[in-house]
Amino acid sequence: MDLNIRRKSTKVQLSGSLVETYPHDLQMYKIPPTENITLQEFETLALERVTLLRCLATATTLKGLRMYSEEWTEYVIGELKTQGLKYYAKLCEKTSCATTEADLQARRKDHIAHFILRLAYCRTEELRRWFIARELELFKMRFATMRSDAVETFFKINNLCYTNISDDEKSEIMHHLRESTPHSNIDNMKFYKVKFYEVLDLVKMRKVYLSGGYAYIAHKDFISVLSAQYRTQLKQSLAVASHHLGEIEQDERLVSLLKGLHQSYSGDDYSNAKAMIPIESLDSLSVKSFPLCMRQLHEQLRLAHHLKHGGRLQYGLFLKGIGVTLEDSLKFWRDEFTKIMELDKFEKQYAYNVRYNYGKEGSKKNYSPFSCLKIINNTVGPGDCHGCPYKHCDVSILKNRLQGYGFEYQAINEIMDMTKKGHFQIACSKYFDAVHHSDMGLGINHPNQYFEESQKIAKGDIKVEIKKEAKPSVKKEINDFDAMDFEEIM
Amino acid sequence: MVGLYDESMLPEMLPIYYTRLFPQSIFCRWLSCGSSPQPLSNRELSFTLADDVYLRYLSICNQKELQLLLQKKCPHKLDIGAVYNTKPSIGRHDAVVLSRELVFDIDLTDYDEVRTCCQEAKVCEKCWKFMVIACEIIDKTLKEDFGFQSILWVFSGRRGIHCWVSDYEARTLDSPGRGAVADYLCLIMGGDNQNKKVHLGSDNLHTSIRRALAVIDKYFDQLLEDQEFLSSAERLDKMLKMIPDEALRSQVQKTLESMPENSLLRWKMFLSVYESYCRESGNNARKIRYLVEEIKIQFCYPRLDVNVTKGFNHLLKSPFSIHPKTGKVSVVFKPGNAKNMKLDEIPSIYSLLDDSAPDNAQHEANMRVAVKNFQEVVFSLEKAEAMRRRNDANMSLDF
Repeated sequence: MDLNIRRKSTKVQLSGSLVETYPHDLQMYKIPPTENITLQEFETLALERVTLLRCLATATTLKGLRMYSEEWTEYVIGELKTQGLKYYAKLCEKTSCATTEADLQARRKDHIAHFILRLAYCRTEELRRWFIARELELFKMRFATMRSDAVETFFKINNLCYTNISDDEKSEIMHHLRESTPHSNIDNMKFYKVKFYEVLDLVKMRKVYLSGGYAYIAHKDFISVLSAQYRTQLKQSLAVASHHLGEIEQDERLVSLLKGLHQSYSGDDYSNAKAMIPIESLDSLSVKSFPLCMRQLHEQLRLAHHLKHGGRLQYGLFLKGIGVTLEDSLKFWRDEFTKIMELDKFEKQYAYNVRYNYGKEGSKKNYSPFSCLKIINNTVGPGDCHGCPYKHCDVSILKNRLQGYGFEYQAINEIMDMTKKGHFQIACSKYFDAVHHSDMGLGINHPNQYFEESQKIAKGDIKVEIKKEAKPSVKKEINDFDAMDFEEIM
Repeated sequence: MVGLYDESMLPEMLPIYYTRLFPQSIFCRWLSCGSSPQPLSNRELSFTLADDVYLRYLSICNQKELQLLLQKKCPHKLDIGAVYNTKPSIGRHDAVVLSRELVFDIDLTDYDEVRTCCQEAKVCEKCWKFMVIACEIIDKTLKEDFGFQSILWVFSGRRGIHCWVSDYEARTLDSPGRGAVADYLCLIMGGDNQNKKVHLGSDNLHTSIRRALAVIDKYFDQLLEDQEFLSSAERLDKMLKMIPDEALRSQVQKTLESMPENSLLRWKMFLSVYESYCRESGNNARKIRYLVEEIKIQFCYPRLDVNVTKGFNHLLKSPFSIHPKTGKVSVVFKPGNAKNMKLDEIPSIYSLLDDSAPDNAQHEANMRVAVKNFQEVVFSLEKAEAMRRRNDANMSLDF
């Protein structure tokens, strides 16, 4: 996109042309906006859209709602209203193609804000991924709430025409369509034939009938085709935008705003440690200050002297984030692994990985530790112990483990309750409270954030109001000597 | 026979193997066709030399260069990487991956939690059946569902199999596309903390799952006998943990524990307990509608290393490379013939180069078959590529 256009271009357009520019609530954002806006509006629009995208993320992670479910959409729209973002609520609630002044203004803001965020989010691979994921959720949600006449208009506006398969062809594959397509009332539906790579999300979930490289989709599955196109287009334009960052950043007024935008929401990515943690203290820290996902990896490593790739990545980056140095890290992994293998094998096959995590090998990127979102969505296969324990553990195994740690009955029940409901991060927060005998109800979205919060308590930065009924019943697993040692070093 | 020979003989034997037996010409044709429209020289090769010295970003322009490189470096292992926009040995930093075969890697170590005959690096005729099932299911899915045709199946050299799909659409598929294909094929999910790893829901079963189950059913009874999935108390316990419904679980447990330790009989009994339980509990049984299928899948369905498939530039061992530990050749086999393969009939470098070895004649014959299998795939790939190019040319003429 060309920013110069925006700076040079004409005055605010009249509503007459707004009707032409914004005929529909839902846009594919193909053409950048060309009007002049004030810096203040620029900032407001940017922040408002970040809030919007953040609502989507919260609904999925902290609230643990199933994406695109009714409750999910309801939560998002409710949240938008309470945050005072009525125009977004309107765009999301009943996506339509009306042409009142309010409609047009909402679409205009939506359009401009989307393009501002492109500038803010094109900077790094990670930011891009986050932005694309949220924008796609938004797009799909809005498509789903659209009335059928609006859908038709949308197809017309965007020149999307497909022809359905003939009745003969359909009846030939009818029983496969019944088996493989999750819709009811298939008999009355029109089906369309597209290449399988146009509907990857359906392929992935096994929600479409495939034959000879083609996917047979129903009309309502077109959202998959559209969002795939939208994703590709967005990915490309972000790549283009990042090439032109230099030009944009000549305007200092924008630089700090654009750079700070995501930080203001997501905070730290924990890729640079703030403290130094000696590896001798890891055993005691894993009990006192590690979230369960890391504690279980630590224990597994001590027990089996080995972790598979996914586990090494998740735990290794976490350790880097809390402040274990590269040298210490190498020693830590080496000491464990060489209990079951030759030193030579460790140096050849595993040391590279440790250095890689610290950005010393390969593409030399300083990788940031995984966030909860990433851990929860990770694939966990046979032999793996990583992932989020509240998601990737059988309920009975998790319960046994918590009992083994000696938590109170009540605390365990609260954790299990949240786990069963699929509120993984709330379960984690309950675990935090159980470990610290607190009642803080933290919103946890990063294992390293969990660690830092816990350390604040340990160092007395935060006074914990001990729950009245709580007796210090966590088993005295912690060796006092160890713990003291650590406090001094800190 | 492996074991009579050791790795220290490889440096002497490999040069002879590469010159006399390695199918260099057809290998280059396969690679260059799979690299087109880029030249063969943009393809990354990587060598593992003695003592695990690793050479990456090698490349060759033609067969002559391959022969020279093989003689000069004498690699113990040969890996194949992606096709870049430039020669991989130059301009490594701004190199972009343009294409790569869609690959699948199935390794028996991923079956350790279900197989009972061997663990880790060991493999026997009994657990090879898991590979037979995996090969058949994946091959069918790739051909019937995704319409791929140029599919190469290769023995990995020790305890697994590799699959290379060279169709143009597969080669140029982007990472999300590869991820989606891998996930489509992946039914077993969950780590060591999850006992039940297959969840099929309660709606209709997808066509591809039905087809996979039909394949599994052909071998299931045999596997039950070979693997004795349900014989000991410990094994039975593993299976019981896959039953989510407590009432049913305790019924099954009571019934099976009182039976003789015969897995086939126990399984049949389980089926009848399950069926009568479902009949009695009517609508409540909806949750366990596919329990039998789920257990079968957890026992037998292919366990892919999805990261290999999802990654665009993961290196994978080349066909006809020697496995440095076993000396076995990574032979190309026909998917339909997987079930007839005998592990000790797979040619090894030692018996191929030793006229007096007892397996010599048979291994030589099998090596010839493997090369012929390779040729067939390459010929059909070349034909498909020629067709594609002609179509592309016609298309551009039309405009």
